[in-house]
Amino acid sequence: MEQLTTSLAPPRAPQKSNVAGSSQQVAGSVAKRLGNELMTLMMSSSPGISAFPKNDGNLFEWIGTIEGPADTVYAGLAFRISISFPSNYPYVAPTIKFETPCYHPNVDLTGGAICLDILQDKWSAVYSVQTILLSLQSLLGEPNNASPLNPDAAGLWNTPDAFKTQLMKHYRPLKDVTAP
Amino acid sequence: MATDALRSQVAAKWQDAFTRLNHGEPGISGLITFSQAWNLATDFLRPKNIAAANKQAYNMNSVRAALEMVNRCRRLPVLLETFLEDMRKSYYLVANDVTLYMQEYEAAQDPAVISRLVFRLLEWYTAWSPPPELGATIFSAYTLNFQTHLFSILPPTFSQAFKALCASTLPPSDPDAVPNPATQSREIWAAFDTLGLLDRYESIVASVGYEHIEAHVLATCTGEWSRPMLDELRTWMSDKMVSWMLLPYARGATNAEEARVLLQGVGSRFDFHMNKTLCDLRTREIFDIIIDFPDSMGALQDLRDCLQRVDQRAALVQSLRKANRKRLLHPGAETKLILSQYVATIKCLRIIDPPGVLLFKVADPIRRYLRERPDTIRSIVTNLVGDDDSGDSLVDENEPIQPLQQPDIEDYSDPNWEPEPIDAGPDFRANKPSDIISTLVSIYDSKDLFVKELQVLLAQRLLAITDDDTEKIERERRNIEILKIRFGEAALQVCEVMLKDMTDSKRIDGHVQSQKASIVHPTIISRHFWPSLESSDIVMPGQFQKLQEQYSQEFTIFKPDKRLRWLPHLGTVHLELQLEDRTVEADVPPLEAAFIELFSSKTVWTVDELIAGVGSVDRSAALNALITWVDLGVLKEDTEGTFRLLEVAEEPSAGPSHHVRTAPAAIELPPVTSVQQQQAEQMKVYWKFIEGMLTNLGTLPLDRIQSMLKYAPGYDRTIEQLAAFMEAARREGLVTGRDGMWRLNT
Repeated sequence: MEQLTTSLAPPRAPQKSNVAGSSQQVAGSVAKRLGNELMTLMMSSSPGISAFPKNDGNLFEWIGTIEGPADTVYAGLAFRISISFPSNYPYVAPTIKFETPCYHPNVDLTGGAICLDILQDKWSAVYSVQTILLSLQSLLGEPNNASPLNPDAAGLWNTPDAFKTQLMKHYRPLKDVTAP
Repeated sequence: MATDALRSQVAAKWQDAFTRLNHGEPGISGLITFSQAWNLATDFLRPKNIAAANKQAYNMNSVRAALEMVNRCRRLPVLLETFLEDMRKSYYLVANDVTLYMQEYEAAQDPAVISRLVFRLLEWYTAWSPPPELGATIFSAYTLNFQTHLFSILPPTFSQAFKALCASTLPPSDPDAVPNPATQSREIWAAFDTLGLLDRYESIVASVGYEHIEAHVLATCTGEWSRPMLDELRTWMSDKMVSWMLLPYARGATNAEEARVLLQGVGSRFDFHMNKTLCDLRTREIFDIIIDFPDSMGALQDLRDCLQRVDQRAALVQSLRKANRKRLLHPGAETKLILSQYVATIKCLRIIDPPGVLLFKVADPIRRYLRERPDTIRSIVTNLVGDDDSGDSLVDENEPIQPLQQPDIEDYSDPNWEPEPIDAGPDFRANKPSDIISTLVSIYDSKDLFVKELQVLLAQRLLAITDDDTEKIERERRNIEILKIRFGEAALQVCEVMLKDMTDSKRIDGHVQSQKASIVHPTIISRHFWPSLESSDIVMPGQFQKLQEQYSQEFTIFKPDKRLRWLPHLGTVHLELQLEDRTVEADVPPLEAAFIELFSSKTVWTVDELIAGVGSVDRSAALNALITWVDLGVLKEDTEGTFRLLEVAEEPSAGPSHHVRTAPAAIELPPVTSVQQQQAEQMKVYWKFIEGMLTNLGTLPLDRIQSMLKYAPGYDRTIEQLAAFMEAARREGLVTGRDGMWRLNT
């Protein structure tokens, strides 16, 4: 009886090809989602945040700009970040790094890596580029000093003047991204 | 000279001929008998003038004997030649007759004359015809010769006259008219046949038939669209036309079966002609037929049936496209009208051609035109929402509400799959028959535009509701529920929020009122979810401002995280003005209320002072507002631009009277920024993208901007257009351009 059912089961080979086909479909749907996100972001006009694909051939690599929120030490400064989407986005969070050195308790000063829960274990598919950018913007003004990536910065946070000095020492104003 | 041999040969020949003619009778008596017989025979056969009075009587026996004799002597061919030659000589008699009759006809134009001519010709023909004893060869030679001569002398006008005669034998279209006696027409057709006219003028006979059919179809069917005419026409054909056709086309038939076989060919030609005539007629009328739909159902069915026989599909498309271009797609036609005609076209052509090829070809120009009209979306959406005032809805109420259909890819695994019709163009897309709304929405590439317009419309309608009219809100909610089925839940989420705002406002207002009663009843809307409302800088003066502030305070207590931002220019104010001698009640827009409030502190104001008193307002709007009060007899314009409050009414009917007048309150819908300027809107979208890329990628060359703009949905501008646009942006100081590189100004 068991043999009978197994022989009735569809052969393995076509299944494989299905998988290949669906992965291609997935890539298409990811691109579509990213296209939609770009559209939403462009139309949302949230002040101080922005992002755009790096070049016209690849929707998976973006460059973003975050302006420091007013009434924080970062006010008046703009930071460039790179956003790299995995092929299985939005089920996995994009990789985000600060390209402009950012002196901040939760940002790695040299590598630009960011310690933000929604970019790691708290990631969910409902987040979008816009929500990430907004979260990063608010992270600038409200760092999580409990788990610092840059302990010096965490230590200085409560003395804004000293912090600002350090910040300005490392900060470099935006330059044009060289065209690929 | 002559040799003996020749001489003897001639002698032998002569002897031989002599023996034959003499029949071996003694002497030359045989020869004499033959000569007498020859004379009698030729004389008998010689064509004579039938008009002549003295008819020579022949003894038929001797004539027959004479002919026998000639035949026996084998002189018959010579006799025939002589006879035909004689006939040629006598034919002037016939020719004279023909000329005479034709002259008469040309004077009278009466086909009866021709009929008499035909019978006269028949008389000549029978009078001259050789006796049957001479055999069929001679008879047919005679007939051929007679006809040849006849055709040579008939004048060119004869064919026209013949046609008239044929037509006169037709059964009249009018059933009450006395029909021609059938016997007479039978005879005349027989005469035609005998004289060989039928073969010679076959095409004329056919054209008579065709023209008759054409005339009948045009007479009975023009403008007659309510019922199918094809069956009636077929009945008419079999009742009237067939009995006529029997005469020219089924002469030889001895029984019904044979007649049917003979008539088959010509019958189907005539039937085809009838179909074609009807088809042509309906093709010419198609535009009006569509206007009349659904009362023109019959005509459409006819057209469908005709098109199956007659290949006139291309002509129909041509004609309808031309009519549409001329009568529909011009600036004089209302968008609503074009839409309803388009919907009717869809319905009509679906009847004529279910696969939709005709529709696709006809609809294309209409759709392209509609796409260019700025108010198409609004018209469609208004209709979707079902405005009360416009009675005729594009959508059939019986039609089930269904989700919008996307044009789907053909399913070739479907066992009922059928190839596209043969005349379908390469870009033909079969869309599902039933749903009109899907078709309308598909005029545009995306339904987002509709959803946006829907929001604007909903905003206008909700803001126009005063006095918390729950019923109206409920109606809007019902509409949105229906539209959700069409556009999908997600698309209409914003509308949902807007509706929720309406009920929430009422609840919040209820709470605020319970804390501290106020006469202000605001509608609290969530800024993010409503379409951008035209803002205004009016600051309500005096007691209005106090009322607003009090309300705001209560609101802030109730909802500490929210802040009220007043839009004082929307809404209405119910006022009761207590003047010295009278009380005036009015429902007025806020600007009017603000002005009259100012007058409570001072009785004379200039317009400029008033404008300054309410913040900032358009001068013409201010004057309009003041005129409302002038009309109500509350203000008076003393000198230009100066208004005075009339504490005492100026009219003769002055005195303590109690006016209750309601000013025409803001009837027009609240101003909401319309989505009409699609072009500008689109460019705004593209600008956002350009802004986005220049912010993040810094300075970019024009071609890079152009290629990056492909991320913007629907971007279809050329690089030249983009260059012009960037140039415009530079003039506005938004960007800096140097060496073809563009940089955003910060």
